[in-house]
Amino acid sequence: MLLSIVLFLPLAGAIALSFVPDERSAKVTALVASVAAFVASLVLVARFDTAQAQLQLVVDAEWIPAIGASYALAVDGISLLLIVLTTFMTPLIILASWDHRDRVRGYLAAFLALETAVLGVFTATDLLLFYVFFEFSLVPMYLIIGMWGGVNRRYAAVKFFLYTLLGGLLMLVGILYLYGQAGTFDYQAIRELTLPVETQRWLFLVFFVAFAVKVPLFPVHTWLPDAHTEAPTAGSVFLAAILLKMGGYGLLRFSLPFFPEATREFVPWILGLCVIGILYGAVVALMQKDVKKLIAYSSVAHMGFVVLGIFALNVTATSAGVVQMVNHGLSTGALFLLIGFLYERRHTRQIAAFSGLARRVPVMAGFWLVVTMSSLALPGLNGFVGEFPILLGTYQAVPWAAVLGAFGVVLAALYLLWAYQRMFHGPLVGADNEHTIDLKPLEIGVLTPLVVLIVLIGVFPQPLYDTVVPSVERVLAEMGGDVAAAGDALVVPAGDASGGASR
Amino acid sequence: MILAQAVGDDAGTLPTPDIAWSSFAPELVLVAAALLLLMFAIGERRQLAIAIPTGIVAAGLGVWLVAQDHVAPGAVAIALGAATVAIVVGVGERPPLVQAFTAGAAALGALALSLWQYVAVMAPEGGSATASVLLGGSVAMDGISLFTRLTVYLTTLLVIPIGYGYLQDRDVDRPEFEPLLLLSATGMALLGAAADLITLFVALEILSIALYVLAGFARRDRRSQESGLKYFLTGSVASAILLYGMALLYVATGTLDLGSIGTAIGLVTTDARIAVLGLALVTAGIGFKIAVVPFHLWTPDVYQGAPTNVTAFMAAATKAAAFAAVLRLYLLAFGRLDDLWVPILAVLAALTMLYGAIVAIVQHDVKRMLAYSSIAHAGYAVIGVVSNSDAGLSGTLWYLLTYAVSTLAAFGCVVAIERRRRGEVTLVDLRGLGRTSPALAGILTLALLSLAGIPPTAGFAGKLIVFQAGVAAGLEWLVVIGVVSSVIAAFFYLRLMGTMFLEEPAEGAELPIVSTGLSLGVSLAAALVIFFGVMPAWVLTLADNAAVLAR
Repeated sequence: MLLSIVLFLPLAGAIALSFVPDERSAKVTALVASVAAFVASLVLVARFDTAQAQLQLVVDAEWIPAIGASYALAVDGISLLLIVLTTFMTPLIILASWDHRDRVRGYLAAFLALETAVLGVFTATDLLLFYVFFEFSLVPMYLIIGMWGGVNRRYAAVKFFLYTLLGGLLMLVGILYLYGQAGTFDYQAIRELTLPVETQRWLFLVFFVAFAVKVPLFPVHTWLPDAHTEAPTAGSVFLAAILLKMGGYGLLRFSLPFFPEATREFVPWILGLCVIGILYGAVVALMQKDVKKLIAYSSVAHMGFVVLGIFALNVTATSAGVVQMVNHGLSTGALFLLIGFLYERRHTRQIAAFSGLARRVPVMAGFWLVVTMSSLALPGLNGFVGEFPILLGTYQAVPWAAVLGAFGVVLAALYLLWAYQRMFHGPLVGADNEHTIDLKPLEIGVLTPLVVLIVLIGVFPQPLYDTVVPSVERVLAEMGGDVAAAGDALVVPAGDASGGASR
Repeated sequence: MILAQAVGDDAGTLPTPDIAWSSFAPELVLVAAALLLLMFAIGERRQLAIAIPTGIVAAGLGVWLVAQDHVAPGAVAIALGAATVAIVVGVGERPPLVQAFTAGAAALGALALSLWQYVAVMAPEGGSATASVLLGGSVAMDGISLFTRLTVYLTTLLVIPIGYGYLQDRDVDRPEFEPLLLLSATGMALLGAAADLITLFVALEILSIALYVLAGFARRDRRSQESGLKYFLTGSVASAILLYGMALLYVATGTLDLGSIGTAIGLVTTDARIAVLGLALVTAGIGFKIAVVPFHLWTPDVYQGAPTNVTAFMAAATKAAAFAAVLRLYLLAFGRLDDLWVPILAVLAALTMLYGAIVAIVQHDVKRMLAYSSIAHAGYAVIGVVSNSDAGLSGTLWYLLTYAVSTLAAFGCVVAIERRRRGEVTLVDLRGLGRTSPALAGILTLALLSLAGIPPTAGFAGKLIVFQAGVAAGLEWLVVIGVVSSVIAAFFYLRLMGTMFLEEPAEGAELPIVSTGLSLGVSLAAALVIFFGVMPAWVLTLADNAAVLAR
């Protein structure tokens, strides 16, 4: 019941939006709905039993009995983190859109509908229900990019839609095949199937393509920079912070447990793609002139780390992959917000147009610096507690991937700091730079919770790992791998990195 | 043959016990309504003088039926009798409205009787339905006939309000429109129930001849003339080929009954070569009706030229009826030849899906684009047929229902945009519709998403079930082609959506006219699109229970 409330509160808000009299009350309604969903998700956290690795808080009702599909929801540690990330980010995204004027109702309704779709993806334990939410999420995002985006919005929106649709539909064929084998869409029943390796191979590939497009992984990432550049600020934030996580989540929830043998076979290839993505994303980011595109490519690199961690297949790296999804959501979300705020002031995103801003907008510069540091994994901030264990765990499993991936961290520091330096330091030249105004209280209010979490997680990541590790252990144990060795090994607080390696 | 009986009944002869009236009760209502409408048209100002006796006869029949313990059909008859009088009294000064209301009431009554057929006759105990072949083996009452009736009558019911204002605006609201529509629907329902070749052919001709006229109904519009003529010429050739194929089947098997043909084809005494030739010719003839590649060539021109409400009717209802015949023919009569027709139809389905989707991309005329999309959708429905299973059977029926409501909503919106204009509706006319008429644009978007198969819409639920049947039948390759075609198709559906929402309205563009009837019909279709998508359970259970084939 509780899960259903969390899931449908945003959608109820979206529907309520069509009955409110004016735009201001529309904004209030949307904010109330999203905050209510956040509060409900906190209740969810309180009810959640961290000691248990199983799926909990189960909701199960008939939906389409004729084909054995049910309305089944449940959460484990992995989904819990992502649910809270989603419900936490959405109110901030709505607050950040407070000054939005163009067709406000539809705009906010799209975000709320999107939130329900994503929450559905994170909670559904019926494959058909999952697929419905997975595909439905395309529609509001398409509209957000297409209706409220930049100059090339149409191209970007269609590209986004078609890429993900193709991936999703291929997965549908896989889901239908699994249904044929299991006679039900139930997650547990399908996981208990034992499939021959040849079958696993093609099924793994169709599922992998669907999720890889979402992540996005090299070489199917090309929709992301376009989507990011054209999307409105709030859309970019939602996309980067939440939507991309559907891919990582899907890999962990479905690909690994369903097709363990095939997963193992494909690991080297996938790690290879991740490393290419990390390095390629970083190098391309380095060359960008548009700061939003730069962050978009940095997302490709960072999400490469996430998948690297997941497919290292040991508790250390895989749990860190999940935690890093949250971290990436917070820091990249904050970066896109900052870029949006700057764009509203200057109507340009060309790095070359900015110079010496730190003197005029010290508050913004301060936020920007903290978030940048978080994004480049400075110890003490949240990025570090995700990326470091990923590299550590990957090194234990597949050294070459970790070594190559580590270059990505160096490059990240390079492109992020260089961009910061060019924009905020240097001489304050030009009237535009002179007259840039600093952040307003509302904007500071939106960014502060993010920065607080960035620091908090950086210093004290244990609760996150406590939530995730049991679930990840279960996933890996069910794959039948040598998980025991890694055991409760990892769980690395920032200051105690050396304790991480157990072998 | 059946029609003759039906008309005979209207004259008041008492039923003889060996006629299973229940098996074609809905069609009786439609034929009676069509006759009544024609009398209205002839009687002009003396409508009340016609309506009152008709009402009394219908009510009397109803009372008699109730007395015989047939409560539901009796109630329908009484209600229809009362409605006839009420309509004439209520809107008698506006003959077109009388026509539309009467036809709508008849369609509603037929729909109610179809449901009664299921609840009271086919599955009196609840649960699975029993199938039976009635009237000396010519009419079947089973899942196919039930679902075809539902789809056809629902379509008829929705098409009447959608087209009402449109016909008036274009000055073609002549009184024979509704009788022809009802007659065509009767033919379609009979086609869905036809259990022998003769009934099948007769039903096909009833529906086709009415449609030939309807396609050319806008007499002063050249494109409509072209549409009617093209449909007539190509349709007649197809009918001839089909008849030739039937004749060969008769030669080979010595029977006209579909079930007996199926049994006979396996026997050594049957000349397999002639039977196969019959199969080939029947495939060509019926392939024309369902518009699979390579028998699709008439579709774009006919769909584009016909009055849009007729196009909607053709796309939604004709397809459902023709597929009913396809299911019966292939699963029943050609059941033993499945080694032969499954691969052929599968390849045709693949070609159809890809061709329809790819060619639709380059269209600028919206009706033409939807016509190509209907070709692609025929391909998806064929996946269910070639699955050659119960799941495929109910999947195809369900798919056609979901396609019917989606395409009705889509064409309904086109009707609103087209209205008084004589020219075509192109992409340009959709520009900025999201700003100028958001409700209409919203419904059209919903319809397009459903046609593209995006959850949670009816179109997704439909595709899901046929794809599932395909995968279960080991036709993964065909389903993958279906997926690829869906993505290609999504491209042009998105383009339409994009034009509506992402572009600014053109200067001085005419605003679409949304009349009460149109918004009623279109909203109902849109509501069904969502309902079938979110809560498919009810109808799907029905489809599953009804997946029985009268053999």
